[in-house]
Amino acid sequence: MPQFESHFFSSLIFWEILSFAILLFVLYKYAFPGILGMLEEREKKIKDSLDQAERHRSEAERKLKEYEAKLNTAAKEAEGILAAAKERAQRLMEENEQRMTTEAERIKGDATREIDQERRKAIQDIRAQTTELALMVAEKVVLRSLNEADHRKFADEALEALSKSYQR
Amino acid sequence: MEESPLHSFELHDWIPISLGGLDVSINKAVMIMWIVVSLVTVLMVIAGSARKLVPGKLQNMAEIMVDFIRGIIMDTMGKEGMRFFPLIATLFLFILFSNLIGLIPGSYTVTSQIIVTAVFSCLVYGLSLVMGFFLHGVKFFGILVPPGTPGWLLPLMVPIELISQLARPISLAVRLFANMTAGHVILGVLFGLSISGGLLIGWLPFAFTIAMNGLEVGIAFIQAYIFTVLTCVYLGDAFHLHGHDEHAH
Repeated sequence: MPQFESHFFSSLIFWEILSFAILLFVLYKYAFPGILGMLEEREKKIKDSLDQAERHRSEAERKLKEYEAKLNTAAKEAEGILAAAKERAQRLMEENEQRMTTEAERIKGDATREIDQERRKAIQDIRAQTTELALMVAEKVVLRSLNEADHRKFADEALEALSKSYQR
Repeated sequence: MEESPLHSFELHDWIPISLGGLDVSINKAVMIMWIVVSLVTVLMVIAGSARKLVPGKLQNMAEIMVDFIRGIIMDTMGKEGMRFFPLIATLFLFILFSNLIGLIPGSYTVTSQIIVTAVFSCLVYGLSLVMGFFLHGVKFFGILVPPGTPGWLLPLMVPIELISQLARPISLAVRLFANMTAGHVILGVLFGLSISGGLLIGWLPFAFTIAMNGLEVGIAFIQAYIFTVLTCVYLGDAFHLHGHDEHAH
């Protein structure tokens, strides 16, 4: 076999070692650091990206929860406001009603008092007139001669008339 | 046209050079070595300087190869094996491109020279020995005693292990050489048949030549891979010494 021809061994060994050494040196110096560095960089980049994505996801979730909570709070607040407004309206209404009632009461009271006063005045007038009338009656009775029985009868009649008019 | 299938392995001095009595003449194999070196250099240096996060074709290819070798080293030697990465990767690329360029008709397969593969295997095995004794001292002789061997078996086991150890560089060198040689011999024979067969029958061996060439591309990769893996295994053995270190931790 031509491969066992030892004539070429020395030159093959020499050039092989030399070219291998050169290749090793060149690759070691200029190629491998770049490629290995690139691989590591990419690995790191991918890992970082995944981490970042994970971070973003959790942050988004957190934000969502936050907003939900905020929304809840807002809804509760709105409810509170509504309830307060309702209550206020109710109170105002009641207040109004009360005021009206009081006013009406007052007017009624005034009217009653006035009526009362008028009545009292009327009674007083009546009494005065009655007295006058009684006096007139008495005068007439006195002017006519009467007997005891007549006296009594007239007096009774007058009194009755008096009391009737008073009652009215 | 009678041509020996071994004709393609013949070398001739092109430029006779003598370096202090040592014959270092330039021949075809040496030229191809240079082509391999320059091709690998151009490819890897360009790819290494591209440094794009989204790699182009060339960068991607170089990164796949580098990552592949890194994976082999990590699997066989672990993280501390990465200090041998430049050596192992250069070895892989040199052998792979030698194998592949050899498949181009008219070129030469450097790795079909037994002396070339022997130099590599001696380099690897010598390195594993040096490293083993450097790391473990005299205890590195323990590599001749498999773990769990009873004392009375030692006279038997030590010679067997010694032979298996010595067979390592030889098998490493011969495997690559023989595979490359055999592939090219087959290609040569088939091609010779298709030439001598003429148009009428010659197309059949020619078709086989093409198919074999495709197969040889696969073999070129596989042999480069096997050489690299075994390199890692031998270096890893010297590193861990039966995995004692690994289990101790």
